[in-house]
Amino acid sequence: MISETKPIHAAKYGMTIDVDRCNGCGACMVACAVENNVPPAHEGATDRKGLTWLRVYKVDNGEEYPDHRTAFVPVMCQQCNRDTPCVHVCPQQAVDLDPATGVVGEMPQRCLGCRYCMAACPYHARYFNWWDPAWPKGMEKTLNPDVTPRMRGVVEKCNFCHGRWHAAKQLAAATGKPAGEPVEYTPACVEACPTGAIRFGDLNNAASEPARAAKQAESFRLLEKLGTETKVYYRSKHEWVREMAHAPRPDQSGKGIARG
Amino acid sequence: MKTTRREILLFAGGSAVGVLMTPAPWRLITDSALWSENWPGIPRPARGAITAKYTNCALCGAGCAVRARCVAEQPVSLAGVAGHPLSHGALCAYGLAGHHLPYHPARVTGGPVEEAAAAVAAAMDRLGENEHVAVLDLRPGRTASWTYRRAMAAVKNGVYVAADGAAAGLAATNAAIDLWKARTVLSLGVPLLEGWGTPGNVMAARAGFHLIQAEAVESRTAAMADQWLRIKAGSEEALGQGILQALGGQTPVAAAEATGIAEQQFLALASELKQNGPALVVGGARSQSAAQLNEALGALGHTIVARREAPVPDGWKKAAPVVDLASVEDGSIRVLLIDESAPGAYLPWSAVEPKLVRDNPLVVTLGWTREGYGRHAQYLLPTGVYPEVADDIPPAVDSVAAAFRMAVPLVQAPEGVVKPEEWIAKAAGLEMADTLRERADAIHKAGRGTLFTYADGKSVATKDVKIGDFWKALEAGGCWMDQAGPAQRPAAVKAAAGATRQSASLADDLPLVAVLTEAPSSPLLSKIYQESNLKLGPKQVAIHPDEARAAGVEDGARALLETLAGRIGVEVRVDASVPRGAVLVASRAAVLDVCGAGVGAKVVRA
Repeated sequence: MISETKPIHAAKYGMTIDVDRCNGCGACMVACAVENNVPPAHEGATDRKGLTWLRVYKVDNGEEYPDHRTAFVPVMCQQCNRDTPCVHVCPQQAVDLDPATGVVGEMPQRCLGCRYCMAACPYHARYFNWWDPAWPKGMEKTLNPDVTPRMRGVVEKCNFCHGRWHAAKQLAAATGKPAGEPVEYTPACVEACPTGAIRFGDLNNAASEPARAAKQAESFRLLEKLGTETKVYYRSKHEWVREMAHAPRPDQSGKGIARG
Repeated sequence: MKTTRREILLFAGGSAVGVLMTPAPWRLITDSALWSENWPGIPRPARGAITAKYTNCALCGAGCAVRARCVAEQPVSLAGVAGHPLSHGALCAYGLAGHHLPYHPARVTGGPVEEAAAAVAAAMDRLGENEHVAVLDLRPGRTASWTYRRAMAAVKNGVYVAADGAAAGLAATNAAIDLWKARTVLSLGVPLLEGWGTPGNVMAARAGFHLIQAEAVESRTAAMADQWLRIKAGSEEALGQGILQALGGQTPVAAAEATGIAEQQFLALASELKQNGPALVVGGARSQSAAQLNEALGALGHTIVARREAPVPDGWKKAAPVVDLASVEDGSIRVLLIDESAPGAYLPWSAVEPKLVRDNPLVVTLGWTREGYGRHAQYLLPTGVYPEVADDIPPAVDSVAAAFRMAVPLVQAPEGVVKPEEWIAKAAGLEMADTLRERADAIHKAGRGTLFTYADGKSVATKDVKIGDFWKALEAGGCWMDQAGPAQRPAAVKAAAGATRQSASLADDLPLVAVLTEAPSSPLLSKIYQESNLKLGPKQVAIHPDEARAAGVEDGARALLETLAGRIGVEVRVDASVPRGAVLVASRAAVLDVCGAGVGAKVVRA
């Protein structure tokens, strides 16, 4: 008897971020931390040693007033689709690219904490747990049961809210949707954004908003010259913002000051 | 070939040694250790039935609608309610983590409740003829506020003091701002896009108006405005007066000097406000210029309208009048009761203290943390915190119709906390029942407006809902909204009394350029100020590199922020975007106590 293998209609989840709409409120950063059980800062944590799966950078065009302009750029794991640097360098095979979703996954139980992936990531979107995760007494009751807290000594990063994807998959299965079909869900940052600057969807679905937005002339990706084919698209009508995408980091565009 | 025992032993020994040279055994040990580790220090999230509950955020006056995802009755995440007519589905960073507040490390859960009650009773007994018992309400307009007013009417020389609400920008309590009707908005340093009013409503209306932000620093509002006017620090009033002069056809020479804005730009601004109307000017509560400009531009009755208050039971009308702190005589308050359980406009202690009698005043504050007036009071009584307590949230300044919505408890308050409303009523000898229910019944009886229920996102006319169902819907996080009447001019819109105190003796002080008002925050907010530099932290100040050099401090250094009102330890951030000659502070009660409004400050080496 020959078994029949059903073709899998893989999803390629992606985001579009309208930089011109982002007002730097930080709601996405907080919603991300709440959803993914990222602990509050350790006393010794700084902007270099903190855990911010999603970080909003403040950038400017470097001009003097009145030509001075500022923008806010949320940066999370860009979900590289090709030659994913962190996957290549991981000696533990703790990082993989899920062919069913296009999401770069991280398995903290496999991670030995060498931080090669952090060095390899061109987007500075990976974070190391310098301390044991700790919540103020009682606050552990507010943890999301769909996401396991990570331990000290491992690297973690944005995974497009994997817990929400799992929940959506279970719901789809419960409603009779065929297994392997892409499911619709909304990551926490997208849900929280009060200005609607962040949109999420399946890039393989031409009708989805990210797929349409990705094709617009004002759309761009960070460090596109590296050819990593990231799945996070940005959009701005301002040329100086689009140029910022060529810098090693949004706040190192060589123009003016930046915080974030 | 004959294999000897010696060779077998040598092979076995060599293999054992050889294996040790490979990664295999070490990897096995590492992986065994890692994979068998149970990480006892890492909490295991609780499991249980997943449900959705609805409430309204009580962390600021916006009162945004909230959907809580609960696991076994415990909220684990909060989100906005899509389609809500007031908050439009938005929830800010503070609101998203509001369910952490009951577990805040600074939480106070015990206090001398009986002892404080006895002290208040004794102090009331020996009250002098010209001395007062006062309640300071940081968030006036609530049902609890009516209880305080009734309580103060019931005691000898009772005074009800409402914080004037710098965030509101208007002193008249019956005035509301209709952003949807404005085509041009001039903001005199007001953080219009940073949590002002109802953030979701402001964002939704944003596309409809041209925003001009006048501010010394490039705040987030300035960055997102259509036009940013970089004025000199503390010159918002001068700018307003200059535009007034330009509207009258005069050349604002002095204002141009004071603000650093060219005279021609004043004329252009005046022309734009006049021609691209309806216009609106938003200023601080003490802004005389904003009030005068709105009068001159005809904003009253168009973009600033009268708002009715939600109905109250007839029996409540015998209540003490609402007064602001400035109108209370200095040295006259013998007993001061402060309700800071509902966060609102914090009045600096330097403004409150002169109102107390000199000999042995009694200050009792009711709050959930020692960060506020608890540092100055004889008694700090613990209260519940959002989302533990039931409290209503009065409509925000940008809500043109009255509204009644409650912060519905999502978790149980700990033993030993007091309800400020009940405690103060008891101290005043006032009989009270379930005031929220009484208020809801009065609203239902009036029969006006609609009821919006969050679970199904539907609106239904109040008169079509039974009284019991009306209360049940409100208890489930619903919202009653009054019907919008014709736009009317508010009864009295004027700037709040009280002159801004200016630095006199410290001539070389740096003026404070911005005081960011922030809601109480979860420890998780460290993501936006400690683990990134998106916002100033609660103990940080930012100054220009030149000023830092002059003060002899470096980035990240500990320093003292020194003002006429006192000094406080801070961490310095050196930031080239802060203009020279100014210091940017992030607000918290302790900082506000030494700053106040418009007080000069300087940073000195610690």
